[in-house]
Amino acid sequence: MRMIAQEDENDNNAEVNWEDQQNINAFSKLNTRLRNTEEKLEGLKQEKEALDDLTMELELADEDTPVLYRVGEAYVHLPHNRAMKRLAKDQATADQELSILKDQAEQCETEMKKLKVVLYAKFGKAINLDE
Amino acid sequence: MATSMTKIEEKNARGIPKAPFIADVAEHLGPNPDVETALKEIQSALAKYRYMDQNLTQRRRGLEDKIPDIKKTLNMIEFLQERREGKQPKQEEEEDEDELDDEDVEDKPIKTTFELNDTLYAEAELEDTDTVYLWLGANVMLSYKLPAAITLLRDKLKSAESSLTSVIEDLEFLREQITVMEVNTARVYNWDVKRRREAREQE
Repeated sequence: MRMIAQEDENDNNAEVNWEDQQNINAFSKLNTRLRNTEEKLEGLKQEKEALDDLTMELELADEDTPVLYRVGEAYVHLPHNRAMKRLAKDQATADQELSILKDQAEQCETEMKKLKVVLYAKFGKAINLDE
Repeated sequence: MATSMTKIEEKNARGIPKAPFIADVAEHLGPNPDVETALKEIQSALAKYRYMDQNLTQRRRGLEDKIPDIKKTLNMIEFLQERREGKQPKQEEEEDEDELDDEDVEDKPIKTTFELNDTLYAEAELEDTDTVYLWLGANVMLSYKLPAAITLLRDKLKSAESSLTSVIEDLEFLREQITVMEVNTARVYNWDVKRRREAREQE
């Protein structure tokens, strides 16, 4: 735990009232939510990269070869154009999910910034809101 | 005597008790402040909250693993359904179909490569069928017609997703209560440190 110097301790005379407690709670909730969203975003970004690489591969592949396209856990032999269509659909779904998560993360960040301003104004060094 | 913390017992929707917020430390501790006991009570309540937090996190992870599995199975079944639907109108309106579209493939059985083991796949040909077998867990597997299977899986997915939302809600509520308790601990402790120092300075 961080110990503050004795002179700074007098800044701690700001008492925590119920409203402050609610602000602190809201900040903590948003922080956890943000971290979870960022984890999911990472996973989704990797999926999207894989799909993008796939698009390039498919464009170079021979039009007559059947493509083993993964549906669920098994692979289905699809003709080239079918595979391209499915790929486009999957990419669109991934993009949609990605943009929803990004919006969520941005929302969390904006809220957190606002709360930081309020809480640092009242508590100054007595509170730590950064990683 | 230190006032007991359990006098305010509010619970949220799923029975998690709300953490009491100490508005004024001095008033809460009373005329003969027993800081040790107060701190111990706070710590024990905190431990209970943390334990609940662990449980819920585990449950959330389980659900988050189950949901992609259900989605994959649903994907596959919807794919099969699409194939079947694609075949029937095909036979009626052959002239309207785009020539680039795979006319041959619709009539051939579907070839798949499925997982026998982690790194071992086997090739299989799927005949046109309207039944799928779903693994329901507990060594039970049932056969379903395609539309029924799709309905069943969609329901399972919906209920899993709603359980996940409520677990996440509970986790956030717990997080708030844990924060309240931690802030309480900090304030009681700081108040005590200040009081001791003032007492020492007076001597």
